[in-house]
Amino acid sequence: MLDVALVSLIQDMSEKAGVEGTIQYWTRVGESLAKRMGKEAYIGWPSFNVALREGRTAFSIEGEVSALTDLAITDEDGDVVGYIYALKRCVFQPTTLRIRYSVGELPKADQDVAREYNNSVRDTAVCNFCVIHQKFREEVAGNITVAEQALECMQLANRGFIGETKIAENALKKIGMNPEYVRSLLRNYSCVYALLMRGARLKGEVKDK
Amino acid sequence: MADEQIKENPVERKHVYSRGAEHKELIEDNPFVDVAAFLFLEDIADKQGAAGMNNYLMSLATSLAKSMPEEKYDTWEQFLEAVRRGESTISTFENIITPTENCIVTTKCPFSRAWSEYTRRIGHFSKIHYDVAEYYNSTVKPGAIDTMCIIHQTFRSASAERIKVGGRPVRYAQIACVSPEGAKKIAPEEWLPILLEKAGITKTEMNMALRNNTCLWILYKG
Repeated sequence: MLDVALVSLIQDMSEKAGVEGTIQYWTRVGESLAKRMGKEAYIGWPSFNVALREGRTAFSIEGEVSALTDLAITDEDGDVVGYIYALKRCVFQPTTLRIRYSVGELPKADQDVAREYNNSVRDTAVCNFCVIHQKFREEVAGNITVAEQALECMQLANRGFIGETKIAENALKKIGMNPEYVRSLLRNYSCVYALLMRGARLKGEVKDK
Repeated sequence: MADEQIKENPVERKHVYSRGAEHKELIEDNPFVDVAAFLFLEDIADKQGAAGMNNYLMSLATSLAKSMPEEKYDTWEQFLEAVRRGESTISTFENIITPTENCIVTTKCPFSRAWSEYTRRIGHFSKIHYDVAEYYNSTVKPGAIDTMCIIHQTFRSASAERIKVGGRPVRYAQIACVSPEGAKKIAPEEWLPILLEKAGITKTEMNMALRNNTCLWILYKG
């Protein structure tokens, strides 16, 4: 019930404080949630990926996340500096369904907030909840170290409830990944992101220079 | 053949408008959304204090109820059946049993999953949730343990106002509730006899119901 009430609050808040105000609120909540979940340290990628699979990392709050270990990200020297991860089901999907069967339709503010975020921050949101969700991941990544190096999260692609997709082509270029391949991942997953070591010199970035 | 079937099955199900309850049982909560919702409310409290947060909670619960369709029923029995099936807006978010025609018992708090995810992943439930409830109890109605109760009770009240049975509005009143950590809040001693009489239960029965359920409330014709 809390989630359905929250969506009602988003509509209320967007009418009172504007969609920009809602984005600011969501961004702060994303930061605060990540901060309150604390820091984590892993000796290497295998131990992090095992922790993720067993639901022990802060990322596990999102639900079933798969580490696509066949999709390693390498730096200019060919060393593995990260992996691609995929969320099976959008965290907002149960709420969307519950609203569909109890209220009827999502309030207009849901798409208004997403549109404003896409225009003013980054073109990666399919619904209002992407704002907090993506911020949360970025902040959590900064709180986790793998082999004593802090992580960085890159949003790559996501699919909304009615099938709309967002593909972050610039981010994909940086890690040297084909957008069509990521699009095919969206058939089985709702959200795809990369976790990599902060400051790694990626092949795509080197090519750009 | 088809005509015969229609004759054999007259309009028994004419007040069943939705299969929503069946669908909803299939939808599991996501902890991320629930925990984020609490932090969202805490962020509001940081900026606007207990009074501001209380206003927001009441406003969001009222607007949620208003966003749902109005209802009308010919008889109390038809209404009660819709409540039992989770098809009325007033019981759409909770699992209930009805010991009498006016007494409703919520078996599990619809917020308890969110609360347990919060305490498991973040830590102790923030004090502001109890402070705001105290503010609500002293300024609005004495029936809340924490912020979840404010949302829930305001929603029920606003939802009841949108339901008519036999042309008359439905009224809601809170009797008692138990929080996920076991704290209990019972209506003031001077109100209790009237509320229990309307509910059609005794004080002993109330305490028995509270032992393994979470909320006790009444619905009656206005």
